[in-house]
Amino acid sequence: MKREWNRNAIVYIFLIPVLVHFLIFQIYPFVLSFYLTFMDWKVIGDPEFVGLKHWKYFLTDRLAWKAIWNTVKFSAYYIVPTMGLGLILALIINSGVKTAGLFKGIFFLPVVTSFVIIAGIWGWLFRGTEAGMINYLLSFIGIEPQLFLSNSSQALAVLAGLSIFKVAGSTMIYYFAGLQSIDRQLYEAARIDGASSFKIFWTITFPLLRPIHFFVAITTTIGSFQIFDSAYLLTGGGPNYATTTIVYYLYEQGFTSLNLSYAAVLSYVLFFIILVISLIQRKYLGQESNNY
Amino acid sequence: MLKKTISYIALIVLGVCFLLPFLIMILGSFKDVQYAQLDPLFWIPDHPTMKNYLYIMRDGIFIRWIFNSVIITVIPVASQMIFCAVLGYIFAKKQFPGREIIFWVFMAVIMIPQQLLIIPKFIMFSDFGWINTYWALIIPELWGIMGVFLVRQFLQNIPNDLEEAAYIDGANDIQIFFKVILPLSIPVVATVGTFSFISNWNDLFQPLIYLTQEKMFPVTLGLASMLGKEGNFGIEMAGSTVSFIPTFLIFLFFQRYFTEGIQMSGLK
Repeated sequence: MKREWNRNAIVYIFLIPVLVHFLIFQIYPFVLSFYLTFMDWKVIGDPEFVGLKHWKYFLTDRLAWKAIWNTVKFSAYYIVPTMGLGLILALIINSGVKTAGLFKGIFFLPVVTSFVIIAGIWGWLFRGTEAGMINYLLSFIGIEPQLFLSNSSQALAVLAGLSIFKVAGSTMIYYFAGLQSIDRQLYEAARIDGASSFKIFWTITFPLLRPIHFFVAITTTIGSFQIFDSAYLLTGGGPNYATTTIVYYLYEQGFTSLNLSYAAVLSYVLFFIILVISLIQRKYLGQESNNY
Repeated sequence: MLKKTISYIALIVLGVCFLLPFLIMILGSFKDVQYAQLDPLFWIPDHPTMKNYLYIMRDGIFIRWIFNSVIITVIPVASQMIFCAVLGYIFAKKQFPGREIIFWVFMAVIMIPQQLLIIPKFIMFSDFGWINTYWALIIPELWGIMGVFLVRQFLQNIPNDLEEAAYIDGANDIQIFFKVILPLSIPVVATVGTFSFISNWNDLFQPLIYLTQEKMFPVTLGLASMLGKEGNFGIEMAGSTVSFIPTFLIFLFFQRYFTEGIQMSGLK
């Protein structure tokens, strides 16, 4: 008995407080939030049961659907370029260049830098006047100054650009790991057969990276549905709601309009979207792990 | 040979693109320049000045923001390293009732976006009296599922022999953890620490919800409140540079743990 305690003391001493913490800060809020969606939560006074009122409102709330649409559009601007840039960076790093370690660090630097810092610079780079760096560069090729963040058809793409810059470095790390795991003999065999580098890439490297493509696509998609910081910092959801993403709309409803119950509905919508994406990932990765 | 040349050219072009924003930030922080007078090449060094740095240092509130960031970062980092190490060990090596189900629930809960939990947590923390306190940002971050997962993955690959030998020598559970397991897990625990540092130091969303008083802001939220408002771009850039230094140092010394951790978390 004593021996048994000796071998498991650490389990009981540490696991119990962690489980209590887990119930209070993860499980309870998750349940409370669901309950909240059926209530009218007022800042002062008791909550009132209203049934499906907020869920019904969501179905007819044009702004909520616009926010979802904006987020989908953001994903469209963001996912493929992030993967492409990540892959290009990984290929360069992996091509046997000297100083690869240094440049790996440089490409990874934005990943660890806060959105606030990058947004501060990005906002100036894409300033919608002649003082902005990008407009200055465009002037050399004869393009008129663009409004960028104050143009409702450009703002979302500028925010996507910021995210691509910030995230490509971590995509690079995944691809780099993938490239390193490819058997070098495959390349040598192809080269003996006289295949060009271009052909080797499209017939060997790219298809063999399939599990990585899939994994990176899923994680960047989940990330893109949670985009908030850059919209909050640079556009405030505007102009004309063009950059109001799901999370930005949730924030505005919950913490500017103090409509917490409706914000909870929106957060559940976000959750369901992410859940579906994650389930696809789990199903697919289960099959794919055999090949990797 | 041609391939090599292309690689080097691409490396340099992309390297410049990735570094330029940081360069502009650092060079810009030494310039005294109003927003209205900004020109595209304002950051090119001439007449450098320390004015902006002196301004934010004398201001007082900026130092307070840095201090707040340190508090809400250092405590969770230390705690995460301890708890994730122990829990990772427990889930990798220990047999106890409910082990599989608890771990399964942890992995399921990872899918819940933090934006969902923040609304009920705001209500809870209002009841607890935690709004505008450090507690709201420290207590929920004391351990993390991701960290437990990383340590567990790592320790599952280590054979049980060492542990068994120590038991036979009469060591108890706690001694084994500190003398055998912990020294082995240093790399993965460092990964947990660096991840935790970056996520807490850079977090904007949670402070935005739980804090309304300027004196409680971490440096992210403080800087966000400065954006545009200061009117002086140089001051903004000086603030950014100062808040970037800790991240940069952590990155410089622990880069390996970041990249290894990213690989571990994704491709098990």
